[in-house]
Amino acid sequence: MPGPEEPPVIVGIGEFYAGRNTMSSIGLGSCIGLVLFDCDKPLGALAHIMLPDSQGRGERPAKYADTAVRFLVKELNLLGCRSSSLAAKLCGGASMFQAFSGNLNIGERNVEAVRFQLKQLNIPIIAEDVGGTVGRTIVYNPAENGKVSIKTADGTRKII
Amino acid sequence: MLNSQQRDALRELGNIGAAHAATTLSTMLMTNIEMEVPEISVVDISKIHEHVGDELSALVIFQITGEVSGGGYVLLHIPKNSVIRLTNAMLGMTELERDLTEMDESALLEIGNIMVSAFLDATATLLSIIMLPSPPSMIIDMPHAAFQTILAMQEFSEIDQVVIFRTELRSDQHKISSNLFLLPNKPMLDEILSMLENLMK
Repeated sequence: MPGPEEPPVIVGIGEFYAGRNTMSSIGLGSCIGLVLFDCDKPLGALAHIMLPDSQGRGERPAKYADTAVRFLVKELNLLGCRSSSLAAKLCGGASMFQAFSGNLNIGERNVEAVRFQLKQLNIPIIAEDVGGTVGRTIVYNPAENGKVSIKTADGTRKII
Repeated sequence: MLNSQQRDALRELGNIGAAHAATTLSTMLMTNIEMEVPEISVVDISKIHEHVGDELSALVIFQITGEVSGGGYVLLHIPKNSVIRLTNAMLGMTELERDLTEMDESALLEIGNIMVSAFLDATATLLSIIMLPSPPSMIIDMPHAAFQTILAMQEFSEIDQVVIFRTELRSDQHKISSNLFLLPNKPMLDEILSMLENLMK
């Protein structure tokens, strides 16, 4: 078991981690930090999802909402989690700036796509901190029953 | 993705642009500006967090427009404490323990506009084309969140590796540090590289 001093596993854009160690994603903007956790065991997973739709691309399943959710469930099943004991928390999906073209509410579309996939798999969303115009750094420790702590740039912290 | 000759050419191009940006900053602050040799990195999107973090910063962001294909962005990144020192130096103030205000934002937009125009002008002149900055967008937040949102835009969304060009500009006298980033997408990078290749023939 990792001690409390152990640095978290950093999950970069399009990456995932599943296991018992503390995990973190830094500076979520329009991306989603999706935490799936087991309600019965100290086990969970984090995906740093960048885009809603993979359009059939198979590499980097954690990068896209439509592939990430199923993929995380499969990884957690391999670790011994039952799909029926999984629950989800969502963070991110912000709209950092409106001024440029080519950025058609990507944050919002990411949130919608992840919610849709979770619904398909009957995984309940226990809490979320999404939207707005701020970046978020999140930390999730599976030993703490699905608690996710969120920090924004101005130093505000909250726990969902 | 880049061979060493291409890296050198890009570094030289960036060097010239950044030197012009540094000169404008130096004029505005009436002080020397120290400039680091530009870094050219090919970065996997999953490792962006090793280059930009989540500390509160101001980012002035410009889209590159003009006679160049593809898409790209120039970002001026200044950490919060440096923003305060920068505004203070420009406006002759001294208070360091304060929050960022509208005054800082307008000072930054002004500085950003002047520096980035100088940067793009100098690089475009070398390439004999026209490159213009879009009106700027400013956010005061986490640099990683801004980069990530840019990478999720259409021009970048299909790629997993980006070329990041970074130069640090510092005023040691005022303890101000800033970074200029250039983030070209693949078509823009390819076009710039082929122009540079033609120049060296």
